[in-house]
Amino acid sequence: MAEIHTRPPVQSNARQSNGEEILSIQQRRWRKFRSLKRGYYSLLVLLAAYIVSFFLPLLVNNRALVVHYNGKTYFPAVRDLLDLPIVGQLGGTPFIAGEELGQVGNKSECNYRALKRQYEEEGKGNYVIMPLYPFGPIEDISVEGNEPFMPPLSQTEFGEVRLFGTDDRGRDVFARMAYGFQISFSFALLVATLSYLIGVPLGALMGYFGRWFDLMMQRFMEIWGSLPFLFLIIIVVSIVRPSFFVLVLLLVIFSWLGIAQQMRAQFYREKTRDYTAAAISIGVPTWRILLRHILPNSLVPIITFFPFAVVGDIGALVSLDFLGFGLAPPTPSWGEMVSIGMDNLTNGYWWLVLVPLGALFVTLMLVVFIGEAVREAFDPKTFSRLR
Amino acid sequence: MVEYFIRRLLLTIPTFLGSTFVVFLIVQLAPGGPLEQQIQALKRGGETAGAGLVGEQALPKDAIEELKRFYGFDKPIWQRYLIWLGVWKREAKSYRIKPGVPRLVGDNERLILVQEGESVVLRNADDPARPIGDWKWRKERDDETGEVRYRVYREAYSGILTGDFGRSYRFRKPVIELIAERLPVSIQFGIISFVLSYAISIYLGVQKALRHNTPFDFATSSAVFMTYSIPGWAIGAVLLVLFATDRFFPIFPLGGFEDPLYADFSLLEKIWDRAWHFVLPTIAYTAGSFALLTMLMKNSLIETLSQDYIRTAFAKGIREERVIWLHAMRNSIIPITANIGYVIGIFFAGSYLIERVFDIQGIGQLSFEALVARDYPIVFAFTVISVVVTLIGSILSDLALALVDPRIRFK
Repeated sequence: MAEIHTRPPVQSNARQSNGEEILSIQQRRWRKFRSLKRGYYSLLVLLAAYIVSFFLPLLVNNRALVVHYNGKTYFPAVRDLLDLPIVGQLGGTPFIAGEELGQVGNKSECNYRALKRQYEEEGKGNYVIMPLYPFGPIEDISVEGNEPFMPPLSQTEFGEVRLFGTDDRGRDVFARMAYGFQISFSFALLVATLSYLIGVPLGALMGYFGRWFDLMMQRFMEIWGSLPFLFLIIIVVSIVRPSFFVLVLLLVIFSWLGIAQQMRAQFYREKTRDYTAAAISIGVPTWRILLRHILPNSLVPIITFFPFAVVGDIGALVSLDFLGFGLAPPTPSWGEMVSIGMDNLTNGYWWLVLVPLGALFVTLMLVVFIGEAVREAFDPKTFSRLR
Repeated sequence: MVEYFIRRLLLTIPTFLGSTFVVFLIVQLAPGGPLEQQIQALKRGGETAGAGLVGEQALPKDAIEELKRFYGFDKPIWQRYLIWLGVWKREAKSYRIKPGVPRLVGDNERLILVQEGESVVLRNADDPARPIGDWKWRKERDDETGEVRYRVYREAYSGILTGDFGRSYRFRKPVIELIAERLPVSIQFGIISFVLSYAISIYLGVQKALRHNTPFDFATSSAVFMTYSIPGWAIGAVLLVLFATDRFFPIFPLGGFEDPLYADFSLLEKIWDRAWHFVLPTIAYTAGSFALLTMLMKNSLIETLSQDYIRTAFAKGIREERVIWLHAMRNSIIPITANIGYVIGIFFAGSYLIERVFDIQGIGQLSFEALVARDYPIVFAFTVISVVVTLIGSILSDLALALVDPRIRFK
């Protein structure tokens, strides 16, 4: 008994007799994935974009990075950084009034773009360093210089270029698109992860223990699955204007079903395999059988499904926002941007529709490419055919 | 086999009851329902009338009671659900009545409450000898004032199980009529895109399988992935901007189902106009489901083509088309048949997102607006439709599977 190893002892540089490296299955999958260029580069691009998006307040913001005024230095944009993880709270941070920084008579938030110009004209050694793209996602026509429906590439009086123009409330479309990415993607990752955390254990228990628990859960899931879920979410959202996390939970409530079904089927099948019977007969505790023996063998289909779950969740959020039942305004969201664009369809403001949907298309394509590569790496089927 | 499907059909009953009850519960318990809206509206009306009485006082308690009765909120929720189903008696008609005073209860029928010796009896006011049908009466006592009132009413079983979906609060019309008006539009789109997505995906899937790993395969894969990942309505919105607004190529109409002057068109013009309006929405509808079907078709055909019996067929010298369409197809078609029910579900429940983008007045749009306006009868009717379509769809899938694959035996 002691001589039977389920796995060969793996060392990082172990070699077989024929000189080939011995790789664990995970290593082989990773190598295969890296060899699939389209998916691999999609992963790199998406990962980079997502990491960068956490620093958006330093890159795309109407608040200055650094303000040096009368010997004192301020960092207004840095505060927004802390805001990002609780997305949807943007603009909730205490602002610095214009008067404090020398904008005479401005008791509301300082207009840093104007401030920069002012300091340059005064020439007293005060300075403002603006972010790369000096417009924020929620500043609207109440700020001087912001006009509704400015076309793409239009310039402000200070020569700053608005890449994708402005929307009906004078908000910058590029800034909203960029912040929308961070919000949509965080949202989808959270929903997908949480529904896995619920769906995997429930499905596993259903499949392994079966009997009344399985029967009851099956009936429950059948009912749950036949509900018109977008419909119900709209009802709930129209009662309680949800925060980011409440909306996440609402989607999780409906999206764990599919994962549980998959897991159930996997565990149901693996339970009948010989290795499980062997483990039971030598007295391995049940939790160990579940976690160490069956789980690793059942995860492949749902791991490969993860990217597609993310795609579905991004789509769901955008759809809800489009209908006006998603995140509370003025949170920058692609769906809300599209709905503004659709309301102004006949006026020729094409960028209001095409910019957010372009961002959506690119994001979803990248995720799907990753998903396809993951699927292929986990399930390398080679077909030979004769014609 | 037949037994299996009968069992499946019977099992849909508890599921149907369960899911409609869940929706019923959530919708009815949601604040801001029709009752509250109506009370708000009446209050506002009272204020504008300048009665000087502002707030709660402006609305008599009687009126609220009456509204509650109208919307059915005077009963517990489970009773409301049973009434809605049609297995509990509903007060079909109900009127206040004062003892000794005749009350008109529709169709020239007048009733009167009269004291006859010890007891109070309900009689026809014009001719006491005429039978009063199933009219009943009851005494009500106001909890606060202690005032005693009388009410005549008639009960009936009437709910969705008897085909009564109620009347829309907003349109003041039977829900069935409203749905019947809108359904043809949604179904036309449903059928066309259903046929199209199967036709395209089978053909494309076969071509992709035959030219696996060629430039054609890669190019079409990108298109397929794109339509897979992006919601149909988003594709529709982009098409609309590109091909319907003046900004780019104004080829197609901006939306709607037919030209405003449709009724005056000749038959040929009518067909042309309808087709014109159909192009973009149909693409949007089809896009959603065709990608999945195409990939399923491709993968399953590739798998079949690598099997021995196909090799044998080729070895015997049978023409390639014959091998593929007759020998391989029979086995490869199985996975996409299993999806039939799911696809039907998508199409026939309508898509309010696509309908909204293209401004098509289908049942999706109807039910979405009803949801926003809390027009419960329409909301529930739509729930019933979509739940039934989902349930029937999954049975249909199994049935289709059994038809194309004789090896499959359901027990």
